Amino acid sequence: MADAPPAARPLSPHLQIWGWTASMAASITNRATGVALYGGTILLAAWFFAAALGPDAYAPVGAIVGSWFGRIVLFGFAWALIFHTLNGLRHLYWDTGRGLAPKTASMTAWATYAASFILTLIVVLAANGAAS
Amino acid sequence: MSHKGTSTFIAMRASSVLLLPLVVWFIWSVTAHAGASAAETRVWLSSPVTAVLFALLIAVSAYHMRIGLNEVIDDYIYSSARGVLKALNALAAILVAGLGFYSAYLLAFAG
Repeated sequence: MADAPPAARPLSPHLQIWGWTASMAASITNRATGVALYGGTILLAAWFFAAALGPDAYAPVGAIVGSWFGRIVLFGFAWALIFHTLNGLRHLYWDTGRGLAPKTASMTAWATYAASFILTLIVVLAANGAAS
Repeated sequence: MSHKGTSTFIAMRASSVLLLPLVVWFIWSVTAHAGASAAETRVWLSSPVTAVLFALLIAVSAYHMRIGLNEVIDDYIYSSARGVLKALNALAAILVAGLGFYSAYLLAFAG
């Protein structure tokens, strides 16, 4: 039995079989931003701790945050946090048993992407305004 | 997470509801202090309200992200590494939350 070749039976359909939908993309993006925010929260705690330790510990951290690399990380952090928060609202709405029809879920997925980009742009403009 | 599905589900939702006002405050507060000098940043973070809200944001985030990453581990890891990864996940969440509370204490209450 153990030597028998594996049967050529069909496997359950996976990612490469399904056509892309907005709600599927939002689901994957929600998980990806969630995992990214795990790292972001560790960085936030490290930054907060450096500030608590005093000026000598904060100086190199503050320099990284203010550099072009730090700004790219902050921009990604802001978008990931905004997307994950908005999509979290979508999940809480689903938990009430509403908004689950495919057309509605697709529409709210597109709305979540659009709102996350617009809100991130507003945050970037506000931050640049506050910094200048 | 076996046999604890309902409590994990509720914990994920409850922490997400707690995070909503904290995240709105966090984005507003950080945006308002963009470009602040190191000295200005210290004054901002040393206010008891700011320090406590930062510690709460970090702690509730740690709780929420531990549940989320456990879900990812359950979905993709089938080997015996699963238990080790979940233990590391719990340890990381406790360390992050503890670091947030300790930092808030140093900033606003230890002086």
